[in-house]
Amino acid sequence: MIPPSPTSAILLRARELAGRPVVTLGGELEAEIKDVVFESDGGPVAGFTLRNEGLFSRARKDALPWRAVHGVGRDAVMIRDVEQLVPAEELAPKKVARKGNVLDDRVLTDSGRELGTVLDVVLQGGAGLDVVGYEIEASEGLGTAGRRVFIPLPDTVAVSGENLIVPASAAEFVSEDLSGFGAAVDEFRSRLREGRDEGEQN
Amino acid sequence: MDWWVWVILAVIVLVVLLTLAVLVQRRRRRGRVIGLGGGDR
Repeated sequence: MIPPSPTSAILLRARELAGRPVVTLGGELEAEIKDVVFESDGGPVAGFTLRNEGLFSRARKDALPWRAVHGVGRDAVMIRDVEQLVPAEELAPKKVARKGNVLDDRVLTDSGRELGTVLDVVLQGGAGLDVVGYEIEASEGLGTAGRRVFIPLPDTVAVSGENLIVPASAAEFVSEDLSGFGAAVDEFRSRLREGRDEGEQN
Repeated sequence: MDWWVWVILAVIVLVVLLTLAVLVQRRRRRGRVIGLGGGDR
Protein backbone atom coordinates (compact mmCIF):
# COMPACT_ATOMS: atom_id res chain seq x y z
CA MET A 1 0.00 0.00 0.00
CA ILE A 2 1.27 3.45 -0.85
CA PRO A 3 1.30 5.76 2.13
CA PRO A 4 -0.69 8.97 1.57
CA SER A 5 1.38 11.84 0.28
CA PRO A 6 1.93 14.59 2.87
CA THR A 7 0.82 17.10 0.24
CA SER A 8 -2.64 15.54 0.17
CA ALA A 9 -3.11 16.33 3.86
CA ILE A 10 -5.34 19.26 4.80
CA LEU A 11 -3.73 22.63 5.44
CA LEU A 12 -5.41 25.18 7.68
CA ARG A 13 -4.60 28.39 9.47
CA ALA A 14 -4.25 28.14 13.26
CA ARG A 15 -6.38 31.25 13.82
CA GLU A 16 -9.30 29.59 12.02
CA LEU A 17 -9.52 27.28 15.03
CA ALA A 18 -10.08 30.12 17.54
CA GLY A 19 -13.72 30.16 18.58
CA ARG A 20 -14.44 26.69 17.18
CA PRO A 21 -16.75 24.81 19.57
CA VAL A 22 -15.43 21.84 21.51
CA VAL A 23 -18.03 19.09 21.57
CA THR A 24 -17.99 15.66 23.22
CA LEU A 25 -18.90 12.54 21.27
CA GLY A 26 -22.00 12.50 23.45
CA GLY A 27 -23.04 15.78 21.79
CA GLU A 28 -22.47 18.14 24.71
CA LEU A 29 -20.91 21.52 24.00
CA GLU A 30 -18.09 22.01 26.47
CA ALA A 31 -16.18 25.13 25.45
CA GLU A 32 -14.59 27.07 22.58
CA ILE A 33 -10.99 26.98 21.38
CA LYS A 34 -9.03 30.00 22.65
CA ASP A 35 -5.35 29.49 21.79
CA VAL A 36 -3.42 26.90 19.79
CA VAL A 37 -0.36 25.52 21.60
CA PHE A 38 2.43 23.79 19.68
CA GLU A 39 5.78 22.25 20.49
CA SER A 40 8.62 24.27 18.98
CA ASP A 41 10.71 21.10 18.92
CA GLY A 42 9.16 19.29 15.96
CA GLY A 43 6.07 21.43 15.58
CA PRO A 44 3.19 19.14 16.61
CA VAL A 45 0.16 20.80 18.17
CA ALA A 46 0.25 19.99 21.89
CA GLY A 47 -3.33 21.11 22.54
CA PHE A 48 -5.63 24.07 22.95
CA THR A 49 -6.51 26.48 25.73
CA LEU A 50 -10.25 26.98 26.17
CA ARG A 51 -12.80 29.65 26.96
CA ASN A 52 -16.48 29.59 27.67
CA GLU A 53 -19.02 30.66 25.07
CA GLY A 54 -20.16 34.26 24.67
CA LEU A 55 -18.68 37.61 23.71
CA PHE A 56 -17.47 38.50 27.21
CA SER A 57 -16.57 34.96 28.27
CA ARG A 58 -13.50 34.28 30.36
CA ALA A 59 -10.64 31.89 29.71
CA ARG A 60 -11.16 28.51 31.33
CA LYS A 61 -8.78 27.00 33.83
CA ASP A 62 -8.74 23.70 31.98
CA ALA A 63 -7.20 22.97 28.58
CA LEU A 64 -7.52 20.37 25.87
CA PRO A 65 -4.40 18.24 25.28
CA TRP A 66 -4.02 16.77 21.79
CA ARG A 67 -4.36 13.19 23.11
CA ALA A 68 -7.95 13.99 24.14
CA VAL A 69 -8.94 15.20 20.65
CA HIS A 70 -11.02 12.75 18.65
CA GLY A 71 -11.03 14.87 15.51
CA VAL A 72 -10.76 18.44 14.20
CA GLY A 73 -13.67 19.11 11.89
CA ARG A 74 -14.67 22.12 9.82
CA ASP A 75 -17.27 23.23 12.35
CA ALA A 76 -16.20 21.68 15.66
CA VAL A 77 -13.40 20.00 17.56
CA MET A 78 -14.61 16.64 18.83
CA ILE A 79 -13.37 15.21 22.10
CA ARG A 80 -13.94 11.81 23.61
CA ASP A 81 -14.45 12.73 27.22
CA VAL A 82 -14.31 15.83 29.44
CA GLU A 83 -12.37 13.78 31.98
CA GLN A 84 -9.32 14.07 29.72
CA LEU A 85 -9.10 17.87 30.01
CA VAL A 86 -6.02 18.99 31.97
CA PRO A 87 -5.27 22.16 33.97
CA ALA A 88 -4.29 25.01 31.60
CA GLU A 89 -1.13 25.54 33.66
CA GLU A 90 -0.06 22.01 32.77
CA LEU A 91 -0.42 22.53 29.01
CA ALA A 92 0.92 26.09 28.79
CA PRO A 93 2.02 27.86 31.98
CA LYS A 94 0.90 31.51 32.01
CA LYS A 95 4.43 32.89 31.76
CA VAL A 96 5.23 30.68 28.76
CA ALA A 97 1.90 31.50 27.10
CA ARG A 98 2.49 35.24 27.49
CA LYS A 99 5.95 35.12 25.92
CA GLY A 100 5.34 32.28 23.48
CA ASN A 101 2.75 33.87 21.17
CA VAL A 102 4.31 33.89 17.71
CA LEU A 103 1.71 36.16 16.08
CA ASP A 104 3.24 39.53 15.14
CA ASP A 105 6.77 38.15 15.67
CA ARG A 106 9.46 38.95 13.11
CA VAL A 107 10.72 36.18 10.83
CA LEU A 108 14.46 36.27 10.19
CA THR A 109 16.62 33.90 8.19
CA ASP A 110 19.68 32.34 9.82
CA SER A 111 21.71 34.70 7.65
CA GLY A 112 20.04 37.72 9.28
CA ARG A 113 17.60 38.74 6.53
CA GLU A 114 14.16 39.87 7.66
CA LEU A 115 11.35 38.19 5.73
CA GLY A 116 8.29 39.67 7.40
CA THR A 117 5.87 39.54 10.33
CA VAL A 118 3.80 36.52 11.33
CA LEU A 119 0.08 36.89 10.63
CA ASP A 120 -0.88 33.27 11.14
CA VAL A 121 0.57 29.78 11.51
CA VAL A 122 -0.14 27.06 8.93
CA LEU A 123 -1.04 23.62 10.27
CA GLN A 124 -1.07 20.35 8.37
CA GLY A 125 -3.58 17.70 9.36
CA GLY A 126 -2.78 14.02 9.27
CA ALA A 127 -2.43 11.67 12.23
CA GLY A 128 -1.89 14.84 14.24
CA LEU A 129 -1.70 18.55 13.52
CA ASP A 130 1.77 19.85 12.71
CA VAL A 131 3.09 23.36 12.23
CA VAL A 132 4.48 23.47 8.68
CA GLY A 133 4.73 27.18 7.94
CA TYR A 134 3.93 30.79 8.68
CA GLU A 135 1.64 33.17 6.85
CA ILE A 136 3.58 36.41 6.91
CA GLU A 137 3.23 39.99 5.80
CA ALA A 138 6.28 40.14 3.56
CA SER A 139 8.95 42.75 4.18
CA GLU A 140 11.12 44.58 1.64
CA GLY A 141 13.72 41.80 1.95
CA LEU A 142 11.41 39.30 0.31
CA GLY A 143 10.65 41.51 -2.68
CA THR A 144 6.89 41.35 -2.20
CA ALA A 145 6.58 43.97 0.56
CA GLY A 146 3.18 44.17 2.22
CA ARG A 147 1.75 41.05 0.59
CA ARG A 148 0.55 38.01 2.50
CA VAL A 149 2.70 35.01 1.64
CA PHE A 150 3.36 31.56 3.08
CA ILE A 151 6.83 30.47 4.15
CA PRO A 152 7.68 26.82 4.91
CA LEU A 153 9.34 25.67 8.12
CA PRO A 154 11.82 22.87 8.78
CA ASP A 155 10.88 19.92 11.02
CA THR A 156 12.17 21.79 14.05
CA VAL A 157 10.86 25.30 14.63
CA ALA A 158 13.47 27.65 16.08
CA VAL A 159 12.21 30.53 18.18
CA SER A 160 14.15 33.04 20.24
CA GLY A 161 12.77 36.11 21.97
CA GLU A 162 10.54 37.98 19.53
CA ASN A 163 12.24 36.64 16.42
CA LEU A 164 11.55 33.41 14.60
CA ILE A 165 14.54 32.01 12.77
CA VAL A 166 14.19 30.02 9.55
CA PRO A 167 16.87 28.64 7.19
CA ALA A 168 17.84 31.12 4.45
CA SER A 169 16.70 28.64 1.78
CA ALA A 170 13.09 28.97 3.03
CA ALA A 171 12.86 32.23 1.06
CA GLU A 172 13.12 30.21 -2.19
CA PHE A 173 9.96 28.25 -1.35
CA VAL A 174 7.59 31.11 -0.61
CA SER A 175 4.06 30.46 -1.82
CA GLU A 176 1.29 32.96 -2.47
CA ASP A 177 -1.62 30.59 -1.96
CA LEU A 178 -2.37 27.92 0.60
CA SER A 179 -3.41 25.30 -1.95
CA GLY A 180 0.08 25.07 -3.43
CA PHE A 181 1.84 25.46 -0.11
CA GLY A 182 1.88 21.75 0.83
CA ALA A 183 4.11 20.96 -2.15
CA ALA A 184 6.44 23.85 -1.24
CA VAL A 185 6.79 22.48 2.30
CA ASP A 186 7.65 18.99 0.99
CA GLU A 187 10.23 20.34 -1.48
CA PHE A 188 11.80 22.60 1.17
CA ARG A 189 12.08 19.79 3.72
CA SER A 190 13.52 17.30 1.24
CA ARG A 191 16.09 19.96 0.21
CA LEU A 192 17.08 20.32 3.88
CA ARG A 193 17.33 16.54 4.29
CA GLU A 194 19.52 16.26 1.18
CA GLY A 195 21.76 18.99 2.57
CA ARG A 196 22.05 17.15 5.89
CA ASP A 197 22.83 13.82 4.19
CA GLU A 198 25.54 15.43 2.07
CA GLY A 199 27.01 17.06 5.17
CA GLU A 200 27.16 13.71 6.95
CA GLN A 201 28.86 12.00 4.00
CA ASN A 202 31.60 14.66 3.76
CA MET B 1 -25.69 73.09 33.10
CA ASP B 2 -29.10 71.90 32.03
CA TRP B 3 -30.05 68.33 32.93
CA TRP B 4 -30.13 67.22 29.30
CA VAL B 5 -26.45 68.14 28.84
CA TRP B 6 -25.57 65.70 31.63
CA VAL B 7 -27.68 63.03 29.96
CA ILE B 8 -25.92 63.53 26.62
CA LEU B 9 -22.48 63.42 28.30
CA ALA B 10 -23.41 60.23 30.15
CA VAL B 11 -24.60 58.60 26.93
CA ILE B 12 -21.37 59.58 25.13
CA VAL B 13 -19.21 58.16 27.96
CA LEU B 14 -21.22 54.94 27.94
CA VAL B 15 -20.87 54.54 24.18
CA VAL B 16 -17.10 55.12 24.35
CA LEU B 17 -16.69 52.60 27.18
CA LEU B 18 -18.80 50.03 25.39
CA THR B 19 -16.86 50.48 22.14
CA LEU B 20 -13.54 50.07 23.98
CA ALA B 21 -14.79 46.93 25.74
CA VAL B 22 -15.91 45.38 22.46
CA LEU B 23 -12.60 46.24 20.74
CA VAL B 24 -10.56 44.75 23.59
CA GLN B 25 -12.71 41.65 23.65
CA ARG B 26 -12.47 41.19 19.89
CA ARG B 27 -8.70 41.38 20.14
CA ARG B 28 -8.68 38.83 22.96
CA ARG B 29 -10.94 36.51 21.00
CA ARG B 30 -8.55 36.61 18.04
CA GLY B 31 -6.65 33.84 19.82
CA ARG B 32 -2.93 33.25 20.12
CA VAL B 33 -0.60 30.65 18.68
CA ILE B 34 1.79 29.66 21.43
CA GLY B 35 5.12 27.93 20.83
CA LEU B 36 6.40 25.90 23.77
CA GLY B 37 10.12 25.55 24.47
CA GLY B 38 12.88 26.56 22.10
CA GLY B 39 15.55 29.13 22.91
CA ASP B 40 14.61 31.93 25.27
CA ARG B 41 10.97 31.01 25.35
